[in-house]
Amino acid sequence: MHNELASYINSQVTDANAVANIAEVGDSSISISSAKVYDVCKLLRDGEYEYNVLQVITGCDYPDENKIEVSYILASYTKNTELILKTALDREGDLTVASVVSIWSAANFQERETYDMLGVNFDGHPDHRRILCPEDWEGFPLRKDYVPAESYKDMTINPVHKMNIGEREFGAKHAHIKGATTSVKNYSVDAPEESEELNN
Amino acid sequence: MSTIFKQENLKTDLLTINMGPQHPATHGVLRVEIKTDSEIVAEATPYLGYLHRCMEKHCEHLDYRGVIPFTDRMDYLAAMNAEMGYVLTVEKMLGTEVPERAQYIRTIVAELQRLASHLMFFGVYAIDLGAFSPFLYAFQDREFILRIFEEISGARLLYNYVWLGGVWNDISDSQLKRIEGYLDELEENIKKYHTLVGENKIFIGRTANVGVVSKEMAYDYGATGPVLRGSGVDWDLRKKRPYGIYDKFDFDVITGEGLKGQLGDCWDRYYVRMLEMHESIKILRQCLDGIEEGPIMGKVSKIVKVPKGEIYLRTECPRGELGYHLISDGGKTPYRVKVKSSCFTHVSMLPELAPGQMIADFVATIGSIDIVLGEVDR
Repeated sequence: MHNELASYINSQVTDANAVANIAEVGDSSISISSAKVYDVCKLLRDGEYEYNVLQVITGCDYPDENKIEVSYILASYTKNTELILKTALDREGDLTVASVVSIWSAANFQERETYDMLGVNFDGHPDHRRILCPEDWEGFPLRKDYVPAESYKDMTINPVHKMNIGEREFGAKHAHIKGATTSVKNYSVDAPEESEELNN
Repeated sequence: MSTIFKQENLKTDLLTINMGPQHPATHGVLRVEIKTDSEIVAEATPYLGYLHRCMEKHCEHLDYRGVIPFTDRMDYLAAMNAEMGYVLTVEKMLGTEVPERAQYIRTIVAELQRLASHLMFFGVYAIDLGAFSPFLYAFQDREFILRIFEEISGARLLYNYVWLGGVWNDISDSQLKRIEGYLDELEENIKKYHTLVGENKIFIGRTANVGVVSKEMAYDYGATGPVLRGSGVDWDLRKKRPYGIYDKFDFDVITGEGLKGQLGDCWDRYYVRMLEMHESIKILRQCLDGIEEGPIMGKVSKIVKVPKGEIYLRTECPRGELGYHLISDGGKTPYRVKVKSSCFTHVSMLPELAPGQMIADFVATIGSIDIVLGEVDR
């Protein structure tokens, strides 16, 4: 189905470069060129495949491959199908794709969230603001190289007296059991050092 | 003298009111900035993020089992359904086989949770519209369900009960009997509640023809669940794309019919939920008939490593479709988990629904789309 759809997109939209990524495990997807997102989305909604509902716009950061991938997950309620449409953006370059709000109103909040979390700009969005983080927040949290902020305005983030030290101690105490350590990479305080008291 | 009171000499301006973040009618910490012309809403802008707990970021540092408790805390009124959605997503990637009994138990808890969630909606919606006692009735019935959950999982709201490969704890025969016995009472109660509230003249006056979501608008905004069905669309994932063992059961998909007003108004959404409870009871009865003895846990390796790839799976939760987009790089932790929350989608409809409504009707509209802010902000 994905191969047919990819050739259908290529035949209708010039330079769309649609490629079907057939997966052995999980879901297959279709990658398209980032310049043609709007045209392809319009085609998919109005064309014969009738993807009338936009489920999610989401993104994922791949620093090793120097790209940020934006996924559009579409669904058709008339034909009962689902599609993951992807486009890759150059991480260092211009992170801009065309907004699809005029095609689906659902894109409004979804694009704002993608901008908020990954810093992808949507050209032509009517209300291009952050949505979950405060408007003056710095950095884009879901990028892999994001360093958690230490303070916001005059507030300390994750102050020591509010941290769950008990959890850390529990983790250290049970570190000898395989797979029992708590995963706390992002805490600003190191794990308590192993002492005799803890090992008993 | 007379010139002062001429219409053109009077200066008018829109009044900006902040509804929330702490407001009893916004179901949590939602702030809606409303511009009003006396009692009429001219513009409404929702501001989200007051309950943002970086769930998606946390998931990138946790192992696959460790994510399950986090999914509980998103939609805290329907935690079982959220867990089940996540677990099904990972299991589909792993190709795990889940024992029959575990599947049945999952369906039982999911449908009980749906009942509890809809009962909560019923109670809270009545409070939104100024009736207090339905809340107490609804909580009485919800309490039974929560007690059962407490017995089988140890917790009342946040369970961590549905695990990869099965469920954490078995459910005993006596508990199943108690559920079966209670279903008859519950069915009678729900009918009673509907006659008490749904057919009430004041209730109909407050909800009929208010906050109308047309079919086109529902598609445009990607509405799901009772909001979509309230607009007359015959769409239920349990029927259309069955997951788990839902294909075994016989039940109807309830759609709004516009009985008291326009199709897709608040009353329709309310009515869809009320009838859906009866369908849940139907499914539960079939579950209780069909459940057999057997193991409750399938084979899952101790350290879960999901093969490289991605998946998007959605399940039908009480508030709409909850989807998980999971990207794995083959490691012990998910590379990216994106949660598609139905409440988030439904909140985005408010700016279009609000203009022209009275403020009190706007409260009725927010109540009828039944949002939980834990899931909106994640």
